[in-house]
Amino acid sequence: MDNCDERHILRATALTKVFAEGDSQVRAIDGVDLRVCPGEMLLIMGPSGSGKTTLLTMLGGLLRPTAGTIEIDGVDITALSESQLTPVRRKSVGFIFQSSNLWESLSVQENIELTLNMAGMKGRAASGRARALLEQQGLGHRLKFRSRNLSGGEKQRVSIARALANEPRLLLADEPTANLDSKHGRDVMHLLRDLSRSAERAVLVVSHDQRIREVTDRVLWLEDGRIKDIAQLARDPVCGASVQMDSAIALEHAGRTYYFCSRDCSWAFQQSPERFVALSTARRAADHG
Amino acid sequence: MVPVARRNLFAEKGRFAISVAGVAFAVLLILIVLALYRGFNRTGQTFRDLPGELWVVQRGTSDPFHSISLIDRTRLATDTQVAGVRATVPVLARSMNFDAGGSRVSARLMALDVPPDVATDDLRERYLPPEGAVIIDDTLRRKTGLSTGGTAQFGTESLRVERVRPRSPEVLFQFVWVNFADARRVFGIGDVVMYGMVILEPGADATAVAQAITGRDPGLQVYTKEAFAASISKEMDETFLPVIAILVAIGFVVGAAVVGLTIYTATIERTREFGVMKAVGGSGGFLYRIVLSQAAMLTGAGFVVGALGAWAVAQLAIEAVPEFATDFTLADIAGVFVAAVFMALLASFMPVRRINSIDPAIVFRA
Repeated sequence: MDNCDERHILRATALTKVFAEGDSQVRAIDGVDLRVCPGEMLLIMGPSGSGKTTLLTMLGGLLRPTAGTIEIDGVDITALSESQLTPVRRKSVGFIFQSSNLWESLSVQENIELTLNMAGMKGRAASGRARALLEQQGLGHRLKFRSRNLSGGEKQRVSIARALANEPRLLLADEPTANLDSKHGRDVMHLLRDLSRSAERAVLVVSHDQRIREVTDRVLWLEDGRIKDIAQLARDPVCGASVQMDSAIALEHAGRTYYFCSRDCSWAFQQSPERFVALSTARRAADHG
Repeated sequence: MVPVARRNLFAEKGRFAISVAGVAFAVLLILIVLALYRGFNRTGQTFRDLPGELWVVQRGTSDPFHSISLIDRTRLATDTQVAGVRATVPVLARSMNFDAGGSRVSARLMALDVPPDVATDDLRERYLPPEGAVIIDDTLRRKTGLSTGGTAQFGTESLRVERVRPRSPEVLFQFVWVNFADARRVFGIGDVVMYGMVILEPGADATAVAQAITGRDPGLQVYTKEAFAASISKEMDETFLPVIAILVAIGFVVGAAVVGLTIYTATIERTREFGVMKAVGGSGGFLYRIVLSQAAMLTGAGFVVGALGAWAVAQLAIEAVPEFATDFTLADIAGVFVAAVFMALLASFMPVRRINSIDPAIVFRA
């Protein structure tokens, strides 16, 4: 999915970040090239200290790279001053944090409204949009709650609503499921996938959570600041598991390639291909909401 | 707009209340000190209220309270007969102790010998008691327990209280208005007066009249009523102004420190939240406005509580100490408000610097 040509939302070229100097110099990110397309959900994985968060921080315009360029919606943000970066962060990027990072003295609705206020939307327009966003997240009954009184899953959904407030085309999520139990983690994963599918948005997730692989389009493996492997993922039409295209069993059917997690699944498919194509189509439709 | 500043302040209600109390204390201190100064500085107002535009004294007399002036009454009458003078009122005045209700108090006795054609009803009501009687004010009534009909012993003379006037602005001394004939007996003097109060003809030039009087008698000195009153307040200025300036400065520093520390602490505690605001696109101006609003709210609340507190303290103090004279002027209140605004700006300086230094990348640290 990284061959979206000129339609990409995010493009990083030869991105490098070096901390400190001399003997203590650390190359946290080392010549990373990356492109994220509309409608794509990209997962960045890697061991601790591999540079995932540093990469995410730079992509969000919160940290300046030592070298290389970052384009968001065609704008080279590495060439912008701090004051020029602020509106880019406000309008073009939505952040979702591991620990939600909600403003605790504000109500749930005010958390969203404040983000809208920063972008110039005020009064009833802001409160109406905040309400609508929260209702979409199933939080219509929590509008006046203090954010500190919410459960972890609710907090993360408010955080997602806040990230969507100004309709950015790029969502950056840092370990969005780390503080959640498995049910809420799964909910958030599917929500992020749905968000990438709708409105031609790109979602870039940094996580250790293997479950997220199931819903992402691509996995980028980062190690020592370098991309080691980019795995293109596909959905097994039989069992629904997420599989890496380059190492999975592949079968052609009706002019299309299908990928399988095991010989059993590929055998089952061969027995009744039309049934599993229909099932796969139904799953894709469900994925797209 | 979401009232972030208010929400932040009210999130810690206890600290907010303590901070408001701190600012209120500073405002109260400044206002009370200024009001006391204004109140004390009205000493001498009696000379402004009396109808004489000029006051004739023996040359070398510096002020009516601390300097003796003795003028022969005939000489005063003769030498003040110049063009523009309607009447010259002989005045007897001196500070003295007297006995009232078993206690001994000090006051300033004053007597005017006002010609009948000049003595208006208002003058009689305020300053001219009949023989054997005195007029006092409410402050002296409360100090002595004297009331209308009561008697006080002035030397060998026993004088009755004719009426009690409302509290006068005189702080250092309360005035006892005595009949002129009684005063001569109480003071035990002959045909000598202390001052001459000169009432001018309408349209007369006070400076020209003063020059004409001193031209006729170089042994006399002429003050305008304003200068005569100011000679008293000058002493107040010299004595109290440096003390007042120091107290006002202390109040200002205390207020600024309280607001500054509160806002700085609130900023430090919310470093991560301010970092999130920066990360999601909050401009510097947006964040500064939050800090300034917090400081302004704190200072505003402190100002209102402090101003009301100062007024209440003044009322209580007057009840406890009759001489406690305060005068809250609009100019002073406005001045303290401006100082409070400046205090808020000053107190915001450190928190704003702190916000400037917050790295928005902090949001990605667990």
